[in-house]
Amino acid sequence: MSERVADICLILEGSYPHVAGGVSTWTHDLIKANPDLSFHVLALTADGRPRPLAHELPGNVVGMTIVPLQQPPRGKEKLERLGRLIEAIRGPLAAMQSDGGLREYAELDRLIGPRRDQLGRVTLMNSEAAFRMTVGLYRDTLPNASFLEYFWGLRSLLSGLFSTLLAPLPPARVYHAISTGYAGLVAARARLETGRSTLLTEHGIYTNERRIEILMADWLFDGASATLAVEGERRELRDLWLDSFAAFSRVCYSACDLIITLYGGNQVMQRRGGAPPEKMRVVPNGVDYETYSKVVRDEGDRPPTIALLGRVVPIKDVKTYIRAAGLLRESVPDLKAMILGPTDEDPDYVAECRALVSALDLDRTVIFAGKVEPADWFGRLDAIVLTSVSEAQPLVILEAGASGVPTVATNVGSCSELIYGRDDEEPPLGEGGAVTPLASPVDTANALREILLDPPRRERLGRVIRERVRLHYDKRVIDRIYREIYDEARARPDRLRMFDRGA
Amino acid sequence: MAGIGFALRKLAQRDNLSGVLRGFAHSAFITSGPWIFTITAVTILTVVGQAALGRDGTAAFRATIIYNFCFSAVFTGPFILPATRHLADRIYERAPESAPTLLVAVLGAIQITAAAIALPFYLLVTDLGPAGAIAATANFTLIGGLWAATIFLTALRDHIRVTLAFLAGMAAGCATGAFAAQTAGPLGMIWSFNIGLAVIEFGLIARVLIEYPHDVGVPLRTREHLRRHWELPLIGTLAAAAVWVDKWIMWFSPLAETEIGGMPTAPLYDSALFAAYLTTLPALTLFTIGVETGFFERYQAFYRGLREHATWDRISSDHRAIIESVLASTRTLAIVQGTATAAAVLAAPAIIGLLRFGNVGIGVFRLAAVGAFLQVAQMFGVVILSYFDLKRRQLWAQGVFLVANGGCTALVSLFLGKAWTGFGFLAGSAIAFAVVYVMVADALRRLPYLAFVASNPSIE
Repeated sequence: MSERVADICLILEGSYPHVAGGVSTWTHDLIKANPDLSFHVLALTADGRPRPLAHELPGNVVGMTIVPLQQPPRGKEKLERLGRLIEAIRGPLAAMQSDGGLREYAELDRLIGPRRDQLGRVTLMNSEAAFRMTVGLYRDTLPNASFLEYFWGLRSLLSGLFSTLLAPLPPARVYHAISTGYAGLVAARARLETGRSTLLTEHGIYTNERRIEILMADWLFDGASATLAVEGERRELRDLWLDSFAAFSRVCYSACDLIITLYGGNQVMQRRGGAPPEKMRVVPNGVDYETYSKVVRDEGDRPPTIALLGRVVPIKDVKTYIRAAGLLRESVPDLKAMILGPTDEDPDYVAECRALVSALDLDRTVIFAGKVEPADWFGRLDAIVLTSVSEAQPLVILEAGASGVPTVATNVGSCSELIYGRDDEEPPLGEGGAVTPLASPVDTANALREILLDPPRRERLGRVIRERVRLHYDKRVIDRIYREIYDEARARPDRLRMFDRGA
Repeated sequence: MAGIGFALRKLAQRDNLSGVLRGFAHSAFITSGPWIFTITAVTILTVVGQAALGRDGTAAFRATIIYNFCFSAVFTGPFILPATRHLADRIYERAPESAPTLLVAVLGAIQITAAAIALPFYLLVTDLGPAGAIAATANFTLIGGLWAATIFLTALRDHIRVTLAFLAGMAAGCATGAFAAQTAGPLGMIWSFNIGLAVIEFGLIARVLIEYPHDVGVPLRTREHLRRHWELPLIGTLAAAAVWVDKWIMWFSPLAETEIGGMPTAPLYDSALFAAYLTTLPALTLFTIGVETGFFERYQAFYRGLREHATWDRISSDHRAIIESVLASTRTLAIVQGTATAAAVLAAPAIIGLLRFGNVGIGVFRLAAVGAFLQVAQMFGVVILSYFDLKRRQLWAQGVFLVANGGCTALVSLFLGKAWTGFGFLAGSAIAFAVVYVMVADALRRLPYLAFVASNPSIE
């Protein structure tokens, strides 16, 4: 689009602005929170098909680049000394599938960069030299695997990799990747080629999410054999994927100046993935404390009410909530257990949940109210409940907390940090709710019982969580933190660029 | 995130090589079957007719038959290959509901347009007279319809019945033809041949409708099909034209005679060539039968291996097996047909004596016999290319063949004497064969790359 040098180039994969979701909304808010900065959005998508935007781009987005990962540009039909080039990239490519890192990616950029306008999928992927390279890599790494699967798996990986190297890099003062993976590679390339500041914010950990996806896909491929334990020494096709993504993460961690994530639990995985501790920092999500703190609590004559706010999907484990409600009702007969969230994503699961409600005779207790505006409800809730099997940093805990509503949550993601505070919380504020084991209706019910049958305790928990949100999770505070990070990054002088060294 | 999930899902469902393994077994039959039929039918009829009516009496008959065979081949060329491909694809997908629709569509298209073209030509341009023109038009239309029905030949699993149908029809035609020649002259001969053709055609139609009992009217999605396989109509036309171009040129050379106004032929040349083609019957039969067993088995094993997740070592050895089988078949064909051709060349005087062409005919026949050997070898090469769906190469091969055959024949006819007649055909066939040989050798050598990348329709 424009040639103007943007202040910040945001690099995202499978997210903003095409896909709706937590990260997408976070990105949108980030751009809106800095109206005086200009942004360029570099969106990595699966293919080049035109897709509707889930968010209307704010006015300070001065450009957008779409990079289809599965479809690198065609490039020229022929290239001089293509064979030599393919031979030269084979080594670094092999390393990028095993123990390689920034050095190997830089080598690829050095080889491919100068001929970027001529190279493409015709030469790098469909040529006979490329096919020979595929066979060679296969024999070196997975000689007993299905060649067909290896061929397509490698092709998919290299498609994305080459796309990151061939895409036009928009000029910007700061490059900010919102995940590792391919977005991380683009950020690394920006650092190598421009010497500018590069930042990383990880919401979920990319390599971990891919591991789960791959294991689930394995189950799709051949049913029985997927176990989470490593079976013997035999390297499998899925190792090709896992090792590649691990390498991509290493590249990004090495190249970025600052590695931000939402909570401390994530940092453990980042360190394991090779992130240098001195670059790491926690900057959580923020919520609109101003608005939510104004919610007035309904002290009137109403039944004790709890709620699960979220989509009715398996990952939220709504069934444990329903069972906990059943147990809780024995002590709190007029309990109202609301389920506040859309029910259109997984109709089969919703039907199962409804059946469970009926089977436990909870039709008057457990109420499906559909998608709601949370602020309308916080005043009438005594606690909110999360029974999810996986979460990152659920904003609902913070929003409810700002309204003074404590949370009972399973010990996933950052829930423990949000409810009990970070280890280094200064001053330590105490408990803002309760944390339970996963899939344990008994524990969830017990924790809720302690809250509902002990109003002073409930109030105390509510006060703690509200104060915690005010001090550490207020959007204005978080926005300021990011603005400081951006300002510092923009001011940093350019470092040596890869091509300056006369390489 | 979204990108990888998408890629993984596609991997789980992938049927990547689906484009390539669409049964091309029929290719062999399509190319050699009707060819065998053409040669045999024309030769037998000519001999029978000559025996009954003498040379002059059969002039109209012979000219009409030759014209109808060659122009129907060219005319139906653009229809046959795409239709064959369509049917092969549907059978591969186990969704052959469109077979009857395809049959009716192709038959209708070919026969209606054939009649519309042929009738004015025979009526207005030639001296056949109204009765003769109608008989000739019917003949042209029926032969065209026969080529259409051959699309279904290998789709019909009952090869034996199909072959019998051909033989029965031909026998019927020849027998009644011999009889009709006595009583009704050339007109009678054509009509009895028409009867034989009709028997075959309707027999095949009935067989198709029995084996594919679906309603007519299933959409064929022709435009999309032609867009993806635009080379096929072109290949079909070029192939037919390339085979006949040398004869056409000779019909305007000093050797030509116009026994029937508007239909010049070169009886000496035509008959010598047809006799020469007859000598290639051993190769044609061997190829049709041998391909079914040797090459096709290895070919299927190769692609099945790919699909069934073979390792590279296994793919590599399957590849070598294909090459070995091609080499082995080539050796056999060369020996068998080489012997047959050599025998024909040596026995030329006797053979020509049978056909009563005089000494010039011996030279033409000898050159033509070797040329015919090379020409059918070229055809086999093109069939192998079609197995691997190498449409662009097929196009080039047929194009080169057309230019070489036509060019060499024209040059020889213009600049060298009558004694060199037939050399153009030989030279053209040799060039065409050499080109195809190089193409096939290259394709076989690089087969895995072609299968996975270059010819893979899933890769763009």
